[in-house]
Amino acid sequence: MSQIELRHVDKSFGAVGVCHDINLTVEEGEFVTLLGSSGCGKTTTLNMVAGLEDPSKGDILIGGRRVNDLSPVQRDVAMVFQNYALYPHMTVAENLGFTLKMRKMAKPQIAERVAAVAASLELTPLLERLPSALSGGQQQRVAIGRALVREPRVFLFDEPFSNLDASLRVKMRAEVKQLHQQLGVTTLFVTHDQEEAMSISDRIAVLNRGKVEQFGTPEEIYSRPATRYVARFIGNPQIDLVPGELEPGADGAVLRLAGVALTLPDFVPPPGAGPAVEVGVRPEHVRLTEAGIPAKVQLVQPVGAATHVVLGWEGGDLIASVPGFVHLSVGAAIHFEIDPRHVLVFDAQSGDRLM
Amino acid sequence: MSFASARSRDRGFRVLVVVGLILFVVWSAAPILWLIVSSLMQQQALIVQPPDFSLGNFTLENFTEVIVSAAALGRGILNSFIVALFSTAVALVIGAPAAYALARLAVPRANALAFLVLATQMLPGIAIAIPLFLVISRLGLIDNVLALGLVYLSFNLPIVIWILRGFFLAIPEGIEKAAAVDGAGVVGTFLHIVLPISIPPLGAAAVFAFVEAWNEFFFALILTRQDAQTVPLVIAQFAGQYQTLFGQMMAAAAISIAPVIALAIIFRNQIVRGFADGMMKG
Amino acid sequence: MSSTSFERRRRRAGLLFVAPAAIVLLAILAYPIVESFILSTQSVRLVAGGVTKEWNSFANYIRLAGDETFRRAVVNTMIFSFGEVALVVSIGLAVALLLNHPLGRWGFFRIMLVVPWAIAPVANAVLWKWILNSNYGILNGLLKSLGLIEYYQVWLARPWSAFGFLLLIDVWKSVPFIALLLLAGLQRVPQSLYKAAYMDGAGRWQAFRHVTLPTMRSALAIAVVLQTIWSLRVFEIIFVLTRGGPADATVLMNFLAYRVTFNFLDIGYGAAIANIIFALTFLLAITYVWLMQPRKRRISS
Repeated sequence: MSQIELRHVDKSFGAVGVCHDINLTVEEGEFVTLLGSSGCGKTTTLNMVAGLEDPSKGDILIGGRRVNDLSPVQRDVAMVFQNYALYPHMTVAENLGFTLKMRKMAKPQIAERVAAVAASLELTPLLERLPSALSGGQQQRVAIGRALVREPRVFLFDEPFSNLDASLRVKMRAEVKQLHQQLGVTTLFVTHDQEEAMSISDRIAVLNRGKVEQFGTPEEIYSRPATRYVARFIGNPQIDLVPGELEPGADGAVLRLAGVALTLPDFVPPPGAGPAVEVGVRPEHVRLTEAGIPAKVQLVQPVGAATHVVLGWEGGDLIASVPGFVHLSVGAAIHFEIDPRHVLVFDAQSGDRLM
Repeated sequence: MSFASARSRDRGFRVLVVVGLILFVVWSAAPILWLIVSSLMQQQALIVQPPDFSLGNFTLENFTEVIVSAAALGRGILNSFIVALFSTAVALVIGAPAAYALARLAVPRANALAFLVLATQMLPGIAIAIPLFLVISRLGLIDNVLALGLVYLSFNLPIVIWILRGFFLAIPEGIEKAAAVDGAGVVGTFLHIVLPISIPPLGAAAVFAFVEAWNEFFFALILTRQDAQTVPLVIAQFAGQYQTLFGQMMAAAAISIAPVIALAIIFRNQIVRGFADGMMKG
Repeated sequence: MSSTSFERRRRRAGLLFVAPAAIVLLAILAYPIVESFILSTQSVRLVAGGVTKEWNSFANYIRLAGDETFRRAVVNTMIFSFGEVALVVSIGLAVALLLNHPLGRWGFFRIMLVVPWAIAPVANAVLWKWILNSNYGILNGLLKSLGLIEYYQVWLARPWSAFGFLLLIDVWKSVPFIALLLLAGLQRVPQSLYKAAYMDGAGRWQAFRHVTLPTMRSALAIAVVLQTIWSLRVFEIIFVLTRGGPADATVLMNFLAYRVTFNFLDIGYGAAIANIIFALTFLLAITYVWLMQPRKRRISS
């Protein structure tokens, strides 16, 4: 059993609260990511699970057992750190074997385990080198190896790829995901990179100012964000938010934004909601058309697979993501449509999603 | 401004720098050079004007004479080695953990404590010398090498703590956390991780403490009489007693400074980095 | 195996780690500091091998106010400290600038810097005693052969000449450390600032004036304070070269406290002088600590 559970966990440093009432369950074998911008409390949360920081309130359970008072070793967790945190004076083999040495394992056994892990991570030829003689990617691999050699119940990752260049980061992401699929060890992963979180996780917990804003699968988080904050945090380019008003209509509701009316079929706003709302439109749900809402082309940014066109209209700026390359000149008059099935409607006050 | 005139101005500046560097070397080296040269010259060659620098007047006699005739010098060197090694070694052994704790272990009011430690290093010797003298004489420990070593320990501890603390503050936190997750306790982390990566600053601190203790004069003057006299005292007395034997006086001085000069030259880079940096780090 | 978390274990271990050093410092330093204050309010006599103490409130301090020699020592100390700090810091800065120049990076120059630093003050004093010798000293010989003096001089026999040479000797010994300190400060000035200043059309002097000096301000301030503290401690050169003479011209406060206590055995009075020095140093140490605090406001040029 290696399920991780956080119950009503608070953490504050003096008067400064970092985590507020965090409730989270990582099921056995699951890969969960804590996602948020810097200072949201995600690393603190991870440290509390690891046993590197004490929660001010609440309980942390691993495998159903309360571990608040256990040291990191007793919790049987392994962790991969930001900046790798390799021991600079030890060779790769010594780095990998340090934790086993601390457990007083016999030398031949240590060598055996280290050799096996090194082989699986293609580190064998580097075993006698010092970390300073390794590339960033190799150091990253050693850091992962150091966690693997333990065969722990739980893996913790603290922004492990933030020092790698973009292409290596994507490659390591895939390797970690594969590793997880092979070993099936319960994993808690911290990152500020939403794309990384989306691509690697079974479920994502989005943290904002020490609170869990939403906890769900990548699809849920992206398609049905619980709050305006989550909607803005996930997706690249960022979702556009347009102020509007919600009115009850004949079948469902009518959304008015900057002189445009969108009919939302089968949508009954909850009582007390609106009328002021903010409407979230993802770039891929904006279609350039012959007729429709008039706008002007403000900026054209091709990114390869798609082209992002920034449109200026009465409601402000809106990004449309168009597959492939389009040839538009800046300032050209154009028309667009918003797909009403995919718009996200948030209460202007609370930021909660209504639809 | 034309390119050519800029170039010639640049050349002028380089000349200025070179002249400055030459002046600096002359200023620093001339007295020491004279010490070495006169320690190698016969008395008759030194007391004529100008000194007779002909090759035949150079000799090692001054050194052999001093070593043979002044038994106090040998004892002084031995005592100096004992107090300097003792106060340096103990300062490292108890200063390093203290520095680590003040830098990393969430000791309450760590910064205030660290500054207090530093402040003790600035105490004027005379302020504590009088009571220290009274206590030590009451204990019957005047002229005792160990008592002097303990006093030097209290001077060296702050230096060691301050140099090492500056370095420990810069150790990335992740390494200590990794060690904790890997199963090392606080002591294990300190012994297996922190100390091995701190060898250069430990060396700087050790050299510094050793040099301070080796050179100390004031407390040695007050707290020793004869048996526990250290090298600086012997040299000062020597200069008083044999003040006309210039060559021997310089030979004794040269012998007394040789160990610390050697250390300073060997560890010059660590000294530059470790100490100068430490004095400016908050 | 203990069963508390990382943070708590570290806090506990922290106290354990600090304890031995704290005990040693307290045992050796704390008592003498307190005792020194008590002594200064006592009349202490050495009678037949024993010590008798008698409280006399502030009599020792009051006596200081009327003591001609003490007044002399204060003035001497002020002149000495001021002169030393001014000379050491300006020469130290010049040396640091020279060694920071690409031509000055040769390792040999660093050796030239650490060697005078490592020499024992006593050895330095003895060396200068020989250099300044009135009959055979190299200084007399050199100056005479250059035609700068007609007769050999007894350099340490005239008040101002003795004072000046003591100052020179101590400056020589003190420059290296301050130069090291300032060199470390210079190496922290971001190179990009010089590039930016150059792009803005600043010449060498302007770059020094508007980039180097402002960023070095705290390093210079630290150098000034530290050197002041150290100048209050000067002892060996006086002990070896002049013993305070001629006519008390080279008596500094530190030396006076020593002489009063250990030569005249007027222990309570000596402690009072020592405490004045202690108070001065304490103020300077506080200034130093204050200067080391990271600055909130950045210096704008």
